[in-house]
Amino acid sequence: MEFTEEQIERYSRHIILPEVGGKGQRRLLDAKVLIVGAGGLGSPTGLYLAAAGVGTIGVADSDAVEMSNLQRQLLHSTPDLGRQKCLSAKETMEAINPDVSVVPHDVRLTSANILDIIAGYDVVVDGSDNFPTRYLVNDACVMARKPLSHAGILRFEGQVTTIIPGEGPCYRCLYPDPPPPGLVPSCQEAGILGAVAGVVGTIQAGEVLKLILGIGDTLVGRLLLYNALEVTFREMRIARHSDCPVCGDHPTVTALIDYEEFCSLRGSGSVSEEVTS
Amino acid sequence: MSVDAPLVTLRFFGALRDTIGQKEVCLPCAGGTVKEILLRFVEEHGDAVRHFIFDEQGNQWRSLLLLLNDEPIEDNQETHVKAGDVISLLLPLAGG
Repeated sequence: MEFTEEQIERYSRHIILPEVGGKGQRRLLDAKVLIVGAGGLGSPTGLYLAAAGVGTIGVADSDAVEMSNLQRQLLHSTPDLGRQKCLSAKETMEAINPDVSVVPHDVRLTSANILDIIAGYDVVVDGSDNFPTRYLVNDACVMARKPLSHAGILRFEGQVTTIIPGEGPCYRCLYPDPPPPGLVPSCQEAGILGAVAGVVGTIQAGEVLKLILGIGDTLVGRLLLYNALEVTFREMRIARHSDCPVCGDHPTVTALIDYEEFCSLRGSGSVSEEVTS
Repeated sequence: MSVDAPLVTLRFFGALRDTIGQKEVCLPCAGGTVKEILLRFVEEHGDAVRHFIFDEQGNQWRSLLLLLNDEPIEDNQETHVKAGDVISLLLPLAGG
């Protein structure tokens, strides 16, 4: 399929890159990426993927836009307060680039629906804000062998890695089980510097684009730690563990788990957890 | 302990750093395993810190990631540390 004149102009700064070219831009237009959580991480990821011309972008989020989101969740604006995030995200991304079709998934991901949802995508981005979703997304991506960009943020810090099942470690190789209730706070409880989400989510967008294009070195096997107070990036080598509960040689997690209970057991007494903060 | 005693560094990230109030702590090291170093550290810092690293049975939490000199540790029960080593302690970050 040929590019229109408008597309040649729109993507000219991509097409001029030898590593991308017209062929790479066509790959981006044909790619399907699922973003889990239209929040602090999902916003910069979604904005850059849409601008880059990733043709199909799914957004899984069942929350509505709240005032406290607007400090960092750039997919949403003040007039969007109270609207469903996946619809607000769709409107923003499609306005940036009419080549992009955003598929809203206005559901909370569970063991019952996640495999069906991710089946339609080439790459998954974890921008969720809670451990039940993070473990569910990791396990589902390992089982379905989907590449996953993983990141977590809190206060002034971020952690980001790329998971390609079979090629490197998964989230459970690092953290085999979720932390006990109350041990690790959420952004709601401990805060987040808005720009940290921007830095880390943008790294995720870069990883997704490279995965689609098949260029460069990804964060597979590396955990990148960002600290905004120090302005440091520290890189840790990480390895697949043969005893990993989900991607190890003898997996013990063979069915998807809904860890809902441990969110509500959280010590601080926060009862309702946003899908993305 | 003499001033030039060999040291091992514990480096903290996330909630651990906030709880301990320091980026890193240096401990005298005359050999021993990673687990022995951690046990010695929590003995000196009390329950608030112990709670992040070990469960009530004294087993390391499976949600704690330990790295030795920015590299994976195969088995922290057995891995021996030497002077100058840096043990990093990381917890997963929930936020997004």
